[in-house]
This record gives sequence, C-alpha cells and structure tokens, in this order.
Amino acid sequence: MQTVKVWDLFVRLFHWSLVVTFTLEALVLDEDSNLHEQVGYFVLALIGARIIWGLVGTKYARFSSFKPSIPAAIGQLGDMATQRETAHMGHSPLGALMIYNLLVSIALIGFTGWLMTTNMFWGSDGIEELHEGLVIWAGASVGVHIVAVIFESRRSHVNLAKAMVTGYKTLPKQDRN
Amino acid sequence: MQYEKSSKESLALIGLILAQSICALFFLSDVATDAYWMGWSAFGGSWHLTVEALATLALIMGIIVEARYLMQMLRRQSRIERGISIASGALHELMEEMFTDWKLTPAEQDVAGFTLKGYSIAEIAQMRGSRDGTIKAQLNAIYRKAGVENRGQLVSLLIEDLMRAPLIKRETAV
Repeated sequence: MQTVKVWDLFVRLFHWSLVVTFTLEALVLDEDSNLHEQVGYFVLALIGARIIWGLVGTKYARFSSFKPSIPAAIGQLGDMATQRETAHMGHSPLGALMIYNLLVSIALIGFTGWLMTTNMFWGSDGIEELHEGLVIWAGASVGVHIVAVIFESRRSHVNLAKAMVTGYKTLPKQDRN
Repeated sequence: MQYEKSSKESLALIGLILAQSICALFFLSDVATDAYWMGWSAFGGSWHLTVEALATLALIMGIIVEARYLMQMLRRQSRIERGISIASGALHELMEEMFTDWKLTPAEQDVAGFTLKGYSIAEIAQMRGSRDGTIKAQLNAIYRKAGVENRGQLVSLLIEDLMRAPLIKRETAV
C-alpha cells in the first residue's frame, strides 16, 4: 500500500466547480437568463485558469505529465480487455484524452455562447444549434467519464472519485507509473 | 510485423466506433427531442419516429458488437506484444484455440499466456498489477479447466498440439 498526493487543491476545486457550473448551465438555469450568461463567463474563466495551471502548476496537474498518446491509450484498452489491474499515478492515458476532449468542447460551448450575444451572430440559428450540439456532446462525454471512472476504479482497485476529493491516491503496490 | 498490423487494425476500428458513436448520439438526441416536443404518443402516430428510433437502436447494437470485437483484438494484441519468437503467430493461434476450448475468462487467458511463456507467478502479478494470491487462484482455475495438474502438463498440452500442426502457415509467415 502506498498513498500519494496527486491532485492539488486547484485541480480539485477546478474539477468540482466545473461539475457544479456545467450541471447548472445545462440542466437548471433558464438559457435566456442573465445568470446563464454570467455563469458561462465564469466557466470560461475556469477553463482559462486550468490551462495556465497546466503549464505552471504542480507535477500531475501539468499537461506535460499527461500528453495525449494513442499508443498509451490503446495499451490501457488492452489492460482493460485482459482484465489486468494496472493502476496509474496521475491521469491515465484514456483519462487524459477525456480531459482534453472536455476542456476543448466546454471552451467551445462558452465561445459559441458568447458569439450568440454579439451583434454579428445575435439570433443566428446556426450558432445556437452548434452551441446546443456541443452541450449534448459534452453531456454524453461526462456520462462516459463517470462510467469510465467507476469501471477503472474497480479494475485498478484505486478509488478515483475519492482521490478527486481528497487529492490522495492509494495504490495497492509500489512500482506503478 | 504482425503486431504493428493488428495495432493499425484496432486503431481503424476505434476510429469507426467513435464515428458511429457520434452518429448514434446525434440520432438519439434527435429522436429524444422529437419525442419530447411531440409527446410519446408520436411513436404510435407516425412511422417516421418509430423507424428512426429502431434504426438508431440497430446502430447502437452494431457499435456494441464492434466494441466486443475490439476487446478481443486488444486481448490478442497484448499477448502477442511479449512474443518475439518467429513462430509466435502460429503458436498464438493454437493458444487462442485452446483457451476458447477451455472457456477461460479474459483474465485467465492473459495469465495462461504468460505462464506458457515461462513467467513466474511473481512476474505475472507484477505485469498484471495484481497480488500473487490472485494469480495463484487464476492458475488453479486454468489447470482445472484444462484438466491438468501443473504448469509442466499445461505446457506439454501445447507442445503436443504444436507437433501436430504446422509451425508456420505459409500465408501467415512473418
């Protein structure tokens, strides 16, 4: 057994703030309200801060520690297919792809939302459809993310959701990457 | 190399699954919005919605079949990954056949593959990220299903089959 601090306070606050604000924006707030716009800008600010933190933050928060890699992602799929119990210290290769997917699609949701307030695109159906399509995409991604977290927690015997709350991962054995 | 070829194949399959998932998501949200606006009674009133929903369902079922096939391919690939002998292609085919005959689970297939290659329990546990005890239990299940007592007998089963089959098939020669 080995307990390691992997997620710093910023990463955890970012994650859970995004959970709350995305849920509010997609499901709760009236889409024509002022508040929907305000919260949208806050989400964009969150994403911006995360990108900066990805360049200057702590070890496992940096993009350089979870570079997108197709071979590594296929390797992890192989581990899943053969029911191996290998765990990862920071973000897993598939987890990393999901992070980039969510960062980009949520940023695009914010961007298209802002476009809808500009004179040029105000009332444009195309931009609105794009905005809503991206929300469906991001929502489905969130669903996949949650299922994957549960599946990977069971496979690797590391409670990933708990780690995102406490910041600590408890790995069954020492020599992991 | 066989490994690179199968790696490319699985990559293509992943691409296909992703593309079809995006389509399925699109159709599914379309059906859901239509049903939301027109009410669920719309399924009885118009064939269009019902057919659309059924087509989406068929697409999703196709994706599930592809995903299962991908898992199979990846399983095979992770086993070949550590095989370097020239005969690994034919050998793996034989191993695969035996494993299917014995109805081994994916985890047991992985452990059996490593065992046949001569890895120790500790080494297999290390590679699979599990405890020695887990591997021992899986080995016992493998021996029971194969109807043998120990590793030596398991290996001789493979050798026996291998001597009957041609080591390298002409068309799949590496």
